[in-house]
Amino acid sequence: MSTDTEEHPDIAAQQQTTDEPEIDRGLLEGWVAKMISNPERAYRMAFYTFTIAFLLTTLFPFYWLLMLSLTPSGQFGRESIVLTPGGFDVSLLSEGDLTMGTNPGAFIDVFTTLPFHRYIFNSFLIATIGTVLVLLVASLAGYVFGRLQFRGKTPLLLTVLVVSFFPPAAFFVPLNRLFSQNFAVLEPIVSNGSLYNHPSAIIIPVSALYLPLAIFILMVFYSQIPDGLEDAARVEGTTRLGALFRVIVPLSAPGVATAGVLSFITIYNEYFFSSLMTSGRPEDWAPMLEGVLSFQGQYETLFNLMAASSIIAVLPIAILVIVAQEKIVSGLTQGAVKE
Amino acid sequence: MRPLNWLETQTEAVYAYILLAPAFALLGLVAFYPLLQTLRFSMLEDQTAAVDVFGGFIGLDNYIDVLTGNARVPRQFIDITTTSGFPYLELGAPLLRQALFVTLAFVIISVLFETLIGFGQALVLDQDFRGNRWVRVAVIIPWAVPIVIQAMIFFLVFNPNVGFLSDPMQSLGLFGANPLASTRDSFIIVTVADIWKTSAFMALLILAGLQSIDRSLYDVAKVSGATPWQRFKYITLPLVGPALIVAMLFRTMDAMRIYGLIDSSVGCSTVPSMTCLVIISLDQTRRWATASTVAFLTAIVISLFVFVYLIFLRDTGGESLA
Repeated sequence: MSTDTEEHPDIAAQQQTTDEPEIDRGLLEGWVAKMISNPERAYRMAFYTFTIAFLLTTLFPFYWLLMLSLTPSGQFGRESIVLTPGGFDVSLLSEGDLTMGTNPGAFIDVFTTLPFHRYIFNSFLIATIGTVLVLLVASLAGYVFGRLQFRGKTPLLLTVLVVSFFPPAAFFVPLNRLFSQNFAVLEPIVSNGSLYNHPSAIIIPVSALYLPLAIFILMVFYSQIPDGLEDAARVEGTTRLGALFRVIVPLSAPGVATAGVLSFITIYNEYFFSSLMTSGRPEDWAPMLEGVLSFQGQYETLFNLMAASSIIAVLPIAILVIVAQEKIVSGLTQGAVKE
Repeated sequence: MRPLNWLETQTEAVYAYILLAPAFALLGLVAFYPLLQTLRFSMLEDQTAAVDVFGGFIGLDNYIDVLTGNARVPRQFIDITTTSGFPYLELGAPLLRQALFVTLAFVIISVLFETLIGFGQALVLDQDFRGNRWVRVAVIIPWAVPIVIQAMIFFLVFNPNVGFLSDPMQSLGLFGANPLASTRDSFIIVTVADIWKTSAFMALLILAGLQSIDRSLYDVAKVSGATPWQRFKYITLPLVGPALIVAMLFRTMDAMRIYGLIDSSVGCSTVPSMTCLVIISLDQTRRWATASTVAFLTAIVISLFVFVYLIFLRDTGGESLA
């Protein structure tokens, strides 16, 4: 007993000397002291803070857009819509109101107020045809630059690169004039002989502008196929073009998919020519962006429809990004590193 | 079969040129021919009242009008006059209402912030941690968002009727009552929107540079007792330099042609970028020759920037560029 009592003050004194600074510093300073004694911990903290901040800034606008689209027309207000839609009230659930005071009907109104589905269809059609055109033309050019040796290869490659440097505005005035002109040759295809208000007025310039990136991506993939495989196909009696489309292209399927996904996204997202080459009416092949903008222009106070139409238009791209994330990353970085 | 057989007998060079023909036909139609036409149009006279929008050849008169701020369009490309006394320069219009300066300011601010934020994101994505894949998807999504929807998001967020950011910005004294109508506030909105969307693109390009760095260098540095900051400063930064400059070159060229974001959120008259000015001149005044002049000057300004970057890249020893 006596030994115990003799030891206690000693231990207590020892503990006091180590604990004393902690008590004096308070919560924040103690935390800082720990960070200083263990820097790895501080770096990890900083890392998670950064990551969460990035995630919040990139994803919160979409969440807020969803909340805005669910807000009923009468309830728009700056304070009411931040984390929940305006008019949101959980207690309404007990009264049998499954929507809890929100208005999911906006996602249907988008299609009844305007033929929004037609705009989306136009965009998909333009992006699909444009992607096929880009892949076809870029496959031929990528094969040439990736696998053949000939005079003038580097200057021609640089010429392709230079095109991607120029602003579309530098091409616009003559192109607008060209596409508004009436050509008698085109009359059997388009009603009045002019390409204005025809999908090709968007497809042609946009696919030409995104051609260089596709050429560079495919060039890299095609050059990696061993020569022996192509030679074997040629010895078996395949034509030159046959070897390209039956051996090189199938073996570079991941590269073709990468170029395809990137072309589709960029053509679907394109603004400049898409907004200037049609009258803006859905029956004149106006793409999705005109649909979203007409909610902004014609129905000034229907903010929920603006938000809902934006969410609908961004969904296909969001799904594509989640599915093809690896391809997008490799394509973007490869195109840039090579250029 | 005949055309294919004929193709088989050609030399490799001829075969190469034939396969390149479609690509160059497309580029010729959409890029080379229009560029030359733009140059020709820019030397013709404007005819706003006649059937044909172009008059006779007037040489460089359009360029002189545009560069001295005397072009008859709603916004000027550059509008500065020299004066005899201090400060020797006088602005004809506010700086942010002149196409050249508003574009340059936009490019410099947005590319600077995008590089910094993109670098941060790249350093995060470079780490191995659980959920890395999903963080990467979240970072790429803004890049993949259509321009019109990016514009719509920021139009709504800063809208005085519904936006959750318009009140805080006003109480901080940063924005006026209607930010979407004031040139300065709109400029900030457009810049923030651009940074939000394209930092991810920078991050991906810088990440590619980071991942090409030999990891054993970091181990050596750790054993020698280098702090993480020293490892970043003496290993990461110098080795990622060329990739960083290439990424900045891409972003600069892209930021120079800013149009869609402005047109669909705050309007081209409020923040008149260079491309906006081309479209304003066409739509609002029917001055096609002046529009061509502005368009060609835009191309020249961009070429100058590309040239400066290429010199920079050569000096930092970037061997990836031909």
